[in-house]
Amino acid sequence: MAVTTAGGGRGIGGGASAAAGKQHLLEMREGARVISHTPARLNTAPSRAYYFYLMLPAIIVLACITLYPFFWLVWMSLHDVDVGAAADKWNDFANWIRLGRDRKFQDGWWLLLQYSAMCMVLQIGLGVLLAVILNGSRHEKLLVTIFLMPMMMAPVVAGLVWYYLYNSTFGWYHWLMQSAGILGERSILGDPSTAMLGIVIVDTWQWTPLITLIVLAGLKRVPRDQLEANMVDGAGEIRNFFQITLPNIYPFLLIAILLRFMDNFRFIDHILVLTGGGPADSTKILPTYLFDVSFQFFKLGRGAAIALTLLAVTIVLGLILVRVFQSPTAQTRPEDS
Amino acid sequence: MASVTIDHVWKYYGKTEAVKDLNLKCADGEFLSVLGPSGCGKSSTLRMLAGLEHISAGDIRFGERRINDLPPKDRDIAMVFENYALYPHKTVRENIANSLMLRGASRATIEQKVKKATELLQIGHLLQRKPQELSGGQKQRVAIGRAIVREPQLFLFDEPIAHLDAKLRAHMRGELKIMQRELGTTMIYVTHDQLEALSMADRIAVMHEGVLQQFGTPQEIYDHPVNEWVAGFVGEPPMNFVDCLIEDRGGVLHAVHPSFAVPVTGSQEAILRDSAHRAEVRMGIRPDQIGIVTGDGGDAVAAQILLTEPLGGDMLVDAAVGQEKFLVKTKPDFQGRRGDACRLAFDTGRWHLFDRDTGLAYF
Repeated sequence: MAVTTAGGGRGIGGGASAAAGKQHLLEMREGARVISHTPARLNTAPSRAYYFYLMLPAIIVLACITLYPFFWLVWMSLHDVDVGAAADKWNDFANWIRLGRDRKFQDGWWLLLQYSAMCMVLQIGLGVLLAVILNGSRHEKLLVTIFLMPMMMAPVVAGLVWYYLYNSTFGWYHWLMQSAGILGERSILGDPSTAMLGIVIVDTWQWTPLITLIVLAGLKRVPRDQLEANMVDGAGEIRNFFQITLPNIYPFLLIAILLRFMDNFRFIDHILVLTGGGPADSTKILPTYLFDVSFQFFKLGRGAAIALTLLAVTIVLGLILVRVFQSPTAQTRPEDS
Repeated sequence: MASVTIDHVWKYYGKTEAVKDLNLKCADGEFLSVLGPSGCGKSSTLRMLAGLEHISAGDIRFGERRINDLPPKDRDIAMVFENYALYPHKTVRENIANSLMLRGASRATIEQKVKKATELLQIGHLLQRKPQELSGGQKQRVAIGRAIVREPQLFLFDEPIAHLDAKLRAHMRGELKIMQRELGTTMIYVTHDQLEALSMADRIAVMHEGVLQQFGTPQEIYDHPVNEWVAGFVGEPPMNFVDCLIEDRGGVLHAVHPSFAVPVTGSQEAILRDSAHRAEVRMGIRPDQIGIVTGDGGDAVAAQILLTEPLGGDMLVDAAVGQEKFLVKTKPDFQGRRGDACRLAFDTGRWHLFDRDTGLAYF
């Protein structure tokens, strides 16, 4: 394409009007061809290096706060680490090998699984139920504020509050249970068979509101006309909930589950306050055990190995959840017209 | 199939009156259109029929059966929503089959009915798709398919084609009308688009501010609007309105305006003579009831052309008579240009006079 604007005569001056018109048409055609010509690249795509420099500050920050401690953790898990000036000694994977025959480590995993499952079922169930009841109720805003209060409390404080409620001498909750005949003379937290439940109740009390809040946001986005269409199609309230509401709040539920799952692996404040992992290790879920090993016995190397297993599982679970999150069934955006 | 009776129905939202004392009777198999601007109470009416809104006062009956307290699922109705309201997580087939599945129909029945409905709407090839993979027109067909597969006794359509583009809308108007005739099911169709109402409905109920203004066939509504509001709302391009005084000039009543005077004759004059308050009226005349004449027509009114708008098949002319502006619909070969003088001839056989205070039509 070697067409330039300079080419082509210009119909300036003389000639009959018809001829001038023709000339004008010709010029217009010429003009069109000129425009079809590839324009100069005004906006070139930036080079890869440009993007790299843009990301560099973030990468540096991330490296300092995440990557460096991570590699340090790996290094620690392969050595005998002392809290002191003594040099760390390579110990031929002794920290890792010991995990294989560490009953408390295995029990810790098993208890963590039980604890997470119980918390999750209770909190999701109650959270969704509460959200459905609250949604569109008369004093919704006031009630939500009240329900959110436990969540605003520091977990340690929540643990202390419940520590007193559960107390077998003057605990109000304990007294209530005893009066109802549910509990004998035993104390809730003092009995290995009920201690875990006690912890789960505290966690549920504190974190169900979070699920309620997230689900409530989801419920606001459930398209009303879909609910109505389904009602006209012949569905009652319950079926409407399972057929329309639930699929529509699915992405929100997944976010809630993801958040709570990770929290269960991290938040042990209330356990430390309430039972410290006892009685008879019945509430010694893995993070609690990790705390003991690292900061009670100061076996930092072994603690690092335990922490790494916890990290690995968290990452895998996170990936699975994200995968589910991206699946087509989760993509239930409200119909747009 | 059933007739529908709306008997002194009111709808309040708090203190707001959305529907005021509505009385309608829709015959079995009839295509009834409820027409009005947004906020006129037409959608509230439809939602009360569907059972999605509580009926504040009055009764609604399907046939002889009072349905005020029945939940939507027991009313045997099907509704098509303005935004289609398809279930995004279900395929087209599941969307259409939903109502049958909720009723526990057998697989064979579902299969057969879905097939029949999708053939009628020509969407058989879309059955496995999800709603987000469909175009607006296809979504709308699926929504209709979901309604007809039920074989309900009543169809409720809430502006179902309002969001389609103009060409598709015109096409769907025809299809919906044919479909309703073939199925023979009573249909109540809410719209703000007078063209949809006029072209499809057997009868139209025109509503404004919660009050039923007029109920009649499309032709009645167009030719004999009961009041100024209906006259102005129905008809495109809209009717011209001009304030006039009625004066007796030499034994003949005239509609008198500072710029012109038009005699009122025949039965129209008799109606005016019978009326007590007839001095101040508003004249209403549709653009196609005004002719542009050249030369000295008898009662023709002198005017000046302000603007011409060729529309291909027609030509719209804005003409000024004194301070008043008239919109005239004429033939595309009209040669007048901006600024030209012309004369307007009113078709007084088809014009309207309204009471200026009450808005009610004399004729």
